[in-house]
Amino acid sequence: MERIKPLKLWLVGVLLVELILLGNVAFAQEEVASALRRYKAYEASTGYYEEYEVRPRRQRPLISVPNIRQGIFPYSPTVAKVRSRTHLEDSHQGIRFYQGRQCEDCHPAAALDIHTTRANLTCRQCHGGEPVASVNYYWSPLNPIRRHAYVCAKCHEGASASYASYVVHEPNPALASTKVAFPALFYVFWIMIGLAVGTFAIFLPHDVLWGIRELFAKKEKPEGELKE
Amino acid sequence: MSSKNRIRRFTPVQQLFHLLLILSFMTQAVTGLARLFIETSWGKWLAWLFGGYDACRIIHIYVGIFMICLFVLHLFYVLGKVNWKEFPGSLYGPDSLMFRFKDVKDFFRHVGWFFGIAKAPEFDRWGYWEKFDYWAVFWGIPVLGITGLLLAYHVAASKIMPGWGLNIALWIHRIEAILAMLHVFILHLVLSNLRRSNFPMDRAMFEGSVELTHARHERPAWVSRLEQAGELERNLVPEAPVGRRAIFYVFGYAVIVVSTFLLIGGLINSPYITW
Repeated sequence: MERIKPLKLWLVGVLLVELILLGNVAFAQEEVASALRRYKAYEASTGYYEEYEVRPRRQRPLISVPNIRQGIFPYSPTVAKVRSRTHLEDSHQGIRFYQGRQCEDCHPAAALDIHTTRANLTCRQCHGGEPVASVNYYWSPLNPIRRHAYVCAKCHEGASASYASYVVHEPNPALASTKVAFPALFYVFWIMIGLAVGTFAIFLPHDVLWGIRELFAKKEKPEGELKE
Repeated sequence: MSSKNRIRRFTPVQQLFHLLLILSFMTQAVTGLARLFIETSWGKWLAWLFGGYDACRIIHIYVGIFMICLFVLHLFYVLGKVNWKEFPGSLYGPDSLMFRFKDVKDFFRHVGWFFGIAKAPEFDRWGYWEKFDYWAVFWGIPVLGITGLLLAYHVAASKIMPGWGLNIALWIHRIEAILAMLHVFILHLVLSNLRRSNFPMDRAMFEGSVELTHARHERPAWVSRLEQAGELERNLVPEAPVGRRAIFYVFGYAVIVVSTFLLIGGLINSPYITW
């Protein structure tokens, strides 16, 4: 009896630590709106994009996700709702005449990326139905902590969190603002452009001058010693 | 009996490499441009030739893998060709494609000759522009191949690098491919075929040989080196029969026509796509 008591205490302790530190079962599976048909198949067959909402996993204080300020007290509700539209449940709340507008009216650059122009994706296929949640809103399907599973993996099977860091709304790599937003892309772009321009800056005039010079060159002398 | 008035310049294996490179490069150019320009009717038409947008991707990936294999084979070929007994000095010999100081001197002297202020340099077997062409492909295939593989197998690629690396890989692939196409379509094809001394076509890569008269004029150092070593006689070959020459011309000019079509179509349509 005396032996069992410390064991029980130990088990209770482990259970408490697990409850605090480990997340509970994710609700990720609920994102598939229909139990019978896969989300993607449903979309493709009907052209109708179901609204869905996702629920958060319990926060795990010891596990942080890059770019997401997370912890026991990530941010106060006031800060999230007032100071930034990137954390709102309805990112467009308070915008006048919102219902009469289309996404491209206010986000023209966001409509010009490979996903939109080539794969013919619509905004809602990734951002969800109304109300469109902010990307960093905790419950949003596009929140980086679950974006890969909830959005990317709908088409790109096996997408990981790393995969989801692909910048869909890529900034113009040539712009100075990209040096701040996506420095690696900015520098690589200009290095490659420098290489291409450098090659042509040397060889285009070189070839043109060569071509012109040959027009004025003496005709080649016929070979006097042709071999039989 | 036809006279042996041509000097051998490329072996059949080298000619085969070049032919496979032409075919795979042109396929990649058409399928790649078709996808890049898919928003335009021109791009749609190009894609239609190969079975559409998705089919172009599949062809582009498999021909790309073929080119990577070709490159690896070429590496083995080159390793087999190196004179290891005299390594590394043999790498910088006149028959090697490695750059040496003479190439820099030749370049500046050649430019001087363009302006009439210097005598034309006496080129050996490979001119500096030919070495540049070779190394451009040598660098280009790994750059395009690696970025291409990352983009083709993007989900797997994101396991070994962050996903935003794909944004960068796409731009490297794009700019390098455009550079390669512009280089081939404008500089390489014009320089090789439309220069006065080569016009209407430089058949060296198809026939494997060049006219001795022309070689003596353009690459005197090479011909005199062969003469001094007593190897000129051994390297002389007759001209190809008319039928084969006709095939060279038809094939060569078909490539030039397709290249010009891609070049003009690409330039005209470039403002109408989402980059």
